[in-house]
Amino acid sequence: MTQRISKYQRFKMMNPILQFFKFIYLSLKVLIIVAGGHGGTRKAH
Amino acid sequence: MSKIVVLGAGISGHVAASHLRRKLSKAHEVVVVSPNSNYQWIPSNIWVGIGRIKSEKILFPLASLYKKKHIDFKQAKAVSFHPEGDAQEQKPYVLAEYVAGETKGQQEKVTYDYLINATGPKLNFEATEGLNPGTNKAYSVCTYTHADHAWEGLNALIQEMKKGKKAKILIGTGHAKATCQGAAFEYILNVEQELRRHNVRDLAEITWISNEYQLGDFGMDGMLLSYGSMTMKSSEMVEMVFEDRDIKWILGAGVNKIEDGIAHYENLEGETKTETFDFAMLIPSFSGHGFKAFDKNNQDITDKLFKGFMIVDADYTPKPYEEWTVQDWPETYQNPTYKNIFAPGIAFAPPHTISKPRKSKNGTEIFPSPPRTGMPSGITAKLVADNIIDSIKNNKESLKHKGSMGNMGAACIASAGFGLTQGSGISITTFPIIPDYVKYPKTHGRKLGKTFGEIGLAGHWLKLALHYAFIYKAKMKPFWWLIPE
Ligand SMILES: Cc1cc2nc3c(=O)[nH]c(=O)nc-3n(C[C@H](O)[C@H](O)[C@H](O)COP(=O)(O)OP(=O)(O)OC[C@H]3O[C@@H](n4cnc5c(N)ncnc54)[C@H](O)[C@@H]3O)c2cc1C
Repeated sequence: MTQRISKYQRFKMMNPILQFFKFIYLSLKVLIIVAGGHGGTRKAH
Repeated sequence: MSKIVVLGAGISGHVAASHLRRKLSKAHEVVVVSPNSNYQWIPSNIWVGIGRIKSEKILFPLASLYKKKHIDFKQAKAVSFHPEGDAQEQKPYVLAEYVAGETKGQQEKVTYDYLINATGPKLNFEATEGLNPGTNKAYSVCTYTHADHAWEGLNALIQEMKKGKKAKILIGTGHAKATCQGAAFEYILNVEQELRRHNVRDLAEITWISNEYQLGDFGMDGMLLSYGSMTMKSSEMVEMVFEDRDIKWILGAGVNKIEDGIAHYENLEGETKTETFDFAMLIPSFSGHGFKAFDKNNQDITDKLFKGFMIVDADYTPKPYEEWTVQDWPETYQNPTYKNIFAPGIAFAPPHTISKPRKSKNGTEIFPSPPRTGMPSGITAKLVADNIIDSIKNNKESLKHKGSMGNMGAACIASAGFGLTQGSGISITTFPIIPDYVKYPKTHGRKLGKTFGEIGLAGHWLKLALHYAFIYKAKMKPFWWLIPE
């Protein structure tokens, strides 16, 4: 089995403390993208 | 006083109906016509299909909620559209047929001032010979009943594997032009993790089969993502995950026939091949429901309303991939002929695919159809509702609210395994959903930073949080509207 995700990366991916902060970061980031709004495209060009 | 009829109570129909009801006075009627008595949060079907959530947890009955909220609910299916009425009925109407209770089989002309067609896709299993969920060892997770059956099938196999059986598992798309690769991607990673949890992973060969040209296409023409401090292609990210999980892959595959434990497919090279399996989950092709439409003289006008799915304000002029632009995509989801009809979510006919169309050497088209995930389905439904509300309140047509998928972001939190400490999720966001190669020529049509990927436990927590938040919102509990679509 080729392992392309290193042990250190996996530790970071599964560490609950690090991931708790990541959870807050991701929630905010997703919210910003959604709340960033949407609109048309036709008049802009 | 206006009457708004919403067809379908899935993500987009329910979002539209609940916003209409909240913002319009009780003098206006909001009617929902849908054949399923339950609302289901479809994204969590993945966890039903691995036995980690009971289907009862992802659904709730609509009748009591709608009664409480003064939304009229007809458990019926739309049969035909009559946007000019007919000789007897002056008002436009939809012919609906009741599917349950004492009125089962009876038809009713449901008249409207505004119509929202949010009937989503027909799960077109018939388009692939032998693909019928629960038969030939092939399953689906597209509805909660399908997902329940999938878990029964998978669980039976796991029990056999515990006795030493070696098994082949095949997950992906069950048609040359299927979409919803994201759901199959989530399912394959969840199945892989469950096999590990049951200590039978080493007895399984797991294979991804897909009509995508490259891994990570997802029907979105692939993505260039920010991944940590790197910039990565979605194909590289998915390859990394599949290699890490020891999942094999078959790409450019148009599955055309299923026999007991055998998938027949054609690839882009034009070769016809087979892949055997002990358990498969294959997403069927999605199609329109085959509705017919008639004018007031009962003449067939289906081509004014439908092109498979419903015709809206998209540019349907056929043109080559190189000439596609974001401007082809609709902004208001309004039918150009009958301006009181709208189609948000999956119900609208897209102008073309997002992924590059490809043909096999035999001329078979093998490429993903465009996905419309939950977030754009909700956003487009809300903007349609807002335009109708404005039009009613101002007493003239208002199309102020616009939302092209070419100017809208989407988040897709793909579950990669269930468990509060052992779970994982692959969080991907894209902006815009439709690549805009004019605005972002150097980054595959999307804005880096707003198009990013993350892998880890936090993704699972986020997916779980969204599950609870969206079910809370769908139940219209206090302040539900503060939760964005
Ligand atoms: C397994 C799976 C997992 C998914 N996971 C995700 C995810 O993680 N994130 C995400 O964003 N998206 C996800 N999606 C996609 C998401 O579920 C869809 O984008 C969304 O459901 C589309 O909403 P819709 O309202 O347009 O259609 P639907 O949700 O399909 O709703 C259609 C409604 O119309 C009703 N209907 C059908 N026929 C008729 C008729 N003749 N008359 C009246 N009503 C009718 C149906 O009963 C239903 O209520 C997933 C999809 C699947 C299948």
